[in-house]
Amino acid sequence: MEVLAIDGLMARCGAKGVERDVSLFLLQDQTVAPGDFVLVHVGYAIQTIEAQEARSVWELLDEMMAREQTE
Amino acid sequence: MTNAAQWLARIRALALSPAFRIMPTFRIMNVCGGHERSITMAGLRRALPASIELIPGPGCPVCVCPEELIHHAIQIALVDRATLVCFGDMLRVPVNVAKGEVRTLEQARGAGGDVRPIASPLEAVRIARELPDRPVVFFAAGFETTAAPVAAMLAEGVPDNLFVLLATRLTWPVVSMLLNSGEAGFDALIAPGHVATVMGPEEWAAVPAVHGKPAAIAGFTPESLLAAIYSVLRQAAEGRCFLDNCYPELVRPGGNPAARAQLARTMRVSEANWRGIGIIPASGLELADGWRQHDAARRFPEVATPGRKPAGGMPPGCGCAGVVLGRLAAD
Repeated sequence: MEVLAIDGLMARCGAKGVERDVSLFLLQDQTVAPGDFVLVHVGYAIQTIEAQEARSVWELLDEMMAREQTE
Repeated sequence: MTNAAQWLARIRALALSPAFRIMPTFRIMNVCGGHERSITMAGLRRALPASIELIPGPGCPVCVCPEELIHHAIQIALVDRATLVCFGDMLRVPVNVAKGEVRTLEQARGAGGDVRPIASPLEAVRIARELPDRPVVFFAAGFETTAAPVAAMLAEGVPDNLFVLLATRLTWPVVSMLLNSGEAGFDALIAPGHVATVMGPEEWAAVPAVHGKPAAIAGFTPESLLAAIYSVLRQAAEGRCFLDNCYPELVRPGGNPAARAQLARTMRVSEANWRGIGIIPASGLELADGWRQHDAARRFPEVATPGRKPAGGMPPGCGCAGVVLGRLAAD
C-alpha cells in the first residue's frame, strides 16, 4: 500500500481506492515517509517496497483478478 | 521483465528436455496459502505441462490449527463468557463434539457467545479498550507473518483485560520434519515469500544444502511463481541445487530485523501440535516471561469435556492431515 500520511507509529495507507490505518511498529528501524510503499499484513506494515515494484505487482494482480472474473 | 507467457514457454521447453523425459512427474510443493490461492486463481495447474505437479503443503494456518485449540476457544466464549476475537477464517472450522453440541466458533456465537471476527491485532486492542470490564481473548492463529504483528501488538502495550490464545506456528520446522521423515512427497520446494520477508531467506537454504532438493522463494504474482517453478526445474535439470530468491523486492538477507526482535522479545519457541500431524519440536510460539499475564491458556485453563475424543483426533471426513502433508489433493 502507499503511505499517505504518518502520525507517530500509525500511517494512513491507500491502495486502489481503499484506505486503511496501518501500524509502522515493525518498521521502526527504517525511514518511512508519505509516498513510500509498504507490504501490509493484518494491519501491520512488514516491509518497505520500491514504488515501481509495488505498481507492477498491482498491475499483475489486476490482470489475474480480471482473468478470474471472465472465466 | 519476463512475462507469464514467456516463463511458461521456458518451462515447457525444459519439461520436454531429456532431463525430465525420464521422470514420470516432478512434484513441487508450496507451503503458503497465498501461493496456493494465486496458483488456483491464475489457473497455473492447467497451464503447466502434465508432468509438473504443484502440491499444496502445510501452509494454511486454519488447516494446521489443532482442533483442541478451537475447542478451547469455543469454551472460552461459552463457559468463561469472555469476548472472543479471531480472524474470520477460523469461525467455521469444526471440532469433535457429541452430536447437537456447538462445533464451531460461528455456532458459539449463535449460542450466545460474544465471538467477533477481526482483521488485525489493532482491532483486538480497540475492542479490549472499549470493554474494560470484560476479558477479551484474541485467538491468534497464523504463521510468522501473523506472529510478528501479534508480537508488535504486545510490545506496544495492551490493556490488562486483553489475553492471547496463541496458535501461531513456524513454517520451516514442519517442512524440515517432512524432509527428515523420509516421505517428503515432493521433488522441489517453493518457499513462502512473506514468511521469508519477515524471517529472512536463510532457513530455507537447508532444503538444497542438506536435503539436496531445489528450492526457490516466490512472491504472489503468476510471474513470480512461474519464475520460481522455472528455477527449481532448471536446478533439477542441471543437477545443481541452491536457494533461489525469486522475490528479491521484499525478501532481504535477515528478513525484517525489527519484526524478528519483537518476536524474540515477546514470544519463545516451543513444541506445538499440528492438526492431524501431531507434536513437532520447536514449531510453535508461546508468550515469553513478562507477557504471561496476557496468556489466555493460563487465565482460562481448559476444562475437560466428557465424551470428547482424545487430543489430536480429527472430525470424521476431515482430510486436513493428508492435504497439508502433500499426500492428498484438495478439492
